[in-house]
Amino acid sequence: MVGAHVGNLATACTEAASSDGSPPAQIEFRNVTKMYGRTAALRDFSLTVRRGEFLTILGPSGSGKTTALMILAGFEAPSSGDILIAQKSVAAVPPFRRDQGIVFQSYALFPHLTVRQNLEFPLEMRGMKANDRLAKVDRTLEQVHLKEFGSRMPSQLSGGQQQRVALARALIADSPVLLLDEPLGALDRNLREQMQSEIKQLHREFGKTTIFVTHDQEEALTLSDRIVVMRAGRIEQVDAPEALYDRPISRFVANFLGEANILSQDGSDTFKGGAPAGKVAMIRPERITIRSFAFPSVDLEKRQSVMGHVEEMIYAGPLRKYHVRVGDEVLVVREHVASGQLIFQLGDRVQLSWLRSDVRFLAE
Amino acid sequence: MDVFRDVFRNPLGLTVPALTILIVVFGLPTVFFFFASLNAPEYSLSNYQAFLYRGANLRILVQTIEVSVFATLICLVIGYPTAYLITAAPKRARIALTVLIFLPWLTSGLVRTYAWILLLGDNGLINRTLLDLGLISSPLALIYNRLAVYIGMVHIMLPVMILPLLSVMQGIDKSLMAAARGMGARPFSAFWRVFLPLSLPGVRSGTILVFVICLGFYITPQALGGLRDVMLSTLIATQIATSFNVGMVASAAFILLAIAAVMLSVFGLDSSGKQAHPDRSHRKDRPKSVFRSSVLTKGLGDRVRAAYWARELYQQGDASNWLALAGSVFLALVMTFLLLPGLLVIVMSFSGGAYLEFPPSTLSLQWYQSFFGDPSWTGALWTSVQIGLMVAVLSTIVGTLAAYGLSRTTPRIRSSVTICLMTPITLPAVVVGVAIYFGMVRLGMLGTATGIVLTQSVGATAYVVAIVSATLANFDRRLERSALSMQASPLQTFMRVTMPLIRPGVIGGALFAFIHSFDEVVQTSLVSGFSIRTLPLKMWENMRNELDPTIAAIGSVITLMPILWLVALYVTWWRAGPSARKRWLNT
Ligand SMILES: Nc1ncnc2c1ncn2[C@@H]1O[C@H](COP(=O)(O)OP(=O)(O)OP(=O)(O)O)[C@@H](O)[C@H]1O
Ligand SMILES: [Mg+2]
Repeated sequence: MVGAHVGNLATACTEAASSDGSPPAQIEFRNVTKMYGRTAALRDFSLTVRRGEFLTILGPSGSGKTTALMILAGFEAPSSGDILIAQKSVAAVPPFRRDQGIVFQSYALFPHLTVRQNLEFPLEMRGMKANDRLAKVDRTLEQVHLKEFGSRMPSQLSGGQQQRVALARALIADSPVLLLDEPLGALDRNLREQMQSEIKQLHREFGKTTIFVTHDQEEALTLSDRIVVMRAGRIEQVDAPEALYDRPISRFVANFLGEANILSQDGSDTFKGGAPAGKVAMIRPERITIRSFAFPSVDLEKRQSVMGHVEEMIYAGPLRKYHVRVGDEVLVVREHVASGQLIFQLGDRVQLSWLRSDVRFLAE
Repeated sequence: MDVFRDVFRNPLGLTVPALTILIVVFGLPTVFFFFASLNAPEYSLSNYQAFLYRGANLRILVQTIEVSVFATLICLVIGYPTAYLITAAPKRARIALTVLIFLPWLTSGLVRTYAWILLLGDNGLINRTLLDLGLISSPLALIYNRLAVYIGMVHIMLPVMILPLLSVMQGIDKSLMAAARGMGARPFSAFWRVFLPLSLPGVRSGTILVFVICLGFYITPQALGGLRDVMLSTLIATQIATSFNVGMVASAAFILLAIAAVMLSVFGLDSSGKQAHPDRSHRKDRPKSVFRSSVLTKGLGDRVRAAYWARELYQQGDASNWLALAGSVFLALVMTFLLLPGLLVIVMSFSGGAYLEFPPSTLSLQWYQSFFGDPSWTGALWTSVQIGLMVAVLSTIVGTLAAYGLSRTTPRIRSSVTICLMTPITLPAVVVGVAIYFGMVRLGMLGTATGIVLTQSVGATAYVVAIVSATLANFDRRLERSALSMQASPLQTFMRVTMPLIRPGVIGGALFAFIHSFDEVVQTSLVSGFSIRTLPLKMWENMRNELDPTIAAIGSVITLMPILWLVALYVTWWRAGPSARKRWLNT
């Protein structure tokens, strides 16, 4: 009885997907908590993923990212709370009826099957005919630049190649939902960027609801519609990339996403930057203007300024980073390299200034 | 589909077939039997008192323990250095030596005992040679005494001691020893302070296993020992064959069981308490470790894990050449002891004369003809093959299902159910046999093929569970998840992903099940009720009555069979492709 009901649900999803073009794969976590013994891998996790959205989960190691995906995929049962897909609870839907393309953190390629057989597997399970499978596998292999590798065993591939096979295998069956657990972690920078734009392209083209887990903040910022920042099993903040970077709500988020100068709580008045009690003031390194001590900026109506001396200069291609000591604090300043720019040396006395409106007040 | 899903949701369901067989065939009869030993429903200890008050019985009990303890100690004293030297050997030699140790273990204990009769008997090879050389005038009393019992038992049990030692020693991280040496430890103290303590788990498993099996020894002491060297198991078997005195048999069996249980729990629990790791991954497979290593789940293909340091260790310094030489000589002696009797049987089976000679003066196949020409022998062979196949099929199916189910339960449930399933091969064989006999009488299956198949399947399933569990422990569950996420049903996932990847373990389990069935004498003889003759039963009968040279021919056939098995296994393994091989070696 239950099986029949579940079957209907699954077909309902796919039918609806084909009729109105956009998959009704709206996903909702409702107060999901997952306990492993006494430790909570997820705590009161509530999140709504919109249809066709590209959502990234970002967080330090062990913060519960994989756990959230595994619960959504049906491999782990939540200790409490519920998961809804297309407004229906999927508590009773086993994983193999959830139609989600998944890239596992460890790739999970079948070691006894060739690359081609790995890619064919999901198609075969959906009852596709051998001829159709052939064409589809060829096309997908090309997409991930692995055309020549079809007959290899996974153990004969490099880490990055395995990762691309895993990605291809998740994409090939056209599931309306993609769950990608650090799918690009093992790739070098070039390939990574290439695959990022590939993923972005695919997403734009087919508009599949995608949940993407990563450690890499830059990747999160470039790819996502929204980013979820997790901390110890809880959601710290959910926002669009720009909003998240520009208006982090906590010191944790600010530090996790980009660099942040926390202006000391108990320092001088300037440093407090007018932070209310229980909050700290934060200024991003690129919002700080660095000037020679001899030619300070004087627009003190809108700007705050402090004096200090250069303690370190780091040259990083298009950027130059200064560590400037101001009293007990060291502030990081980031400046784009431009021609005719004044370059400060170690020990130089400098003035740092920033717009008052660029200061953010964050929860501790 | 719903059935599969329910089973999938409740993995313990998969252990039901195996547990049902175990409980019906062995568990319940043991309970009834225990009550019978207590004179239920009156409940008294009179049976035990009667047993212990008879001086002869008490003497046999003490003697059983004594023989078991000494045999175990001899095995340890020979086995530890052997395992150490093998660990230290270069890779190729190590693999070859491991296989050579493994081979005699696969050959029938009956044949090996027979080999010693041929060697040690009054008319045997040694006496005959000495007489011919004129060194002695009348045969030496080499057989039918305690020494012969020890030789025979150690010969059979030595591989059982060495294999767990090997698997533990090969797992010891060589960098630890290097580190100890780096901290200034001399080779000997590095061994004493680092290697020895780390190898203790292997010592523990090997010792317990050997001791408990020795307690139930039946064939070897009876064939090689004198009238005074009776073991408790012989007493029990004789009692059953002659006048079935339930009280007597039961009290003897439960006393033996109690000794085994005390040994298992004291040693098992004690040392596991000492090395209590908070680490979950360690804890999960520790309770099984005794059994795991015992069935050589790690040994067969020889884990090519680096353990070169041991070689470095004994190759260091000036005295090292002598040590190396002494080591090689020692190894050669041990291997000769293990392998020579079997080889002699094979060579002598081609003797052309009226009795077996070495070296044969003329060659002939007469003993093979007398084997294959005699319907009572070929009939017994055919019976054994049929029963063996049935046992292999039944126990492989229920054992694999159980192991698969257990791999998905919590560690606690897994270890307790595994221990239950292992009891038939952990407890002394004769005790298990008596309990099953008791059950077969009640079930009315005494002397039926079904009865024998069930009896042997109980033990064979234990081997299958142990081997398949070990394979599953290295199986990445994420692969199954991955398949499920691609809409493969649980059944498809099992058949397409899990099964191909654990196939070597399943095949290995099936082979062990077959060999177990093909070699089993003790329990089979009890439940056969003299109406069904398997090959070992007939051999055993003939061995007791006269020294039939035909047994040499059979012996060499069934000694060569495990070699064929190994070749078959090797071929399957080789054909499984490079990746499967690599996985296997990493197992
Ligand atoms: N099967 C399990 N049993 C017990 N604890 C677990 C289990 N799986 C995960 N955990 C714990 O739950 C927490 C969250 O784990 P999770 O794998 O979700 O982290 P993650 O955010 O994916 O980390 P990473 O970035 O390293 O992959 C961790 O503390 C982990 O130790
Ligand atoms: Mg993770």
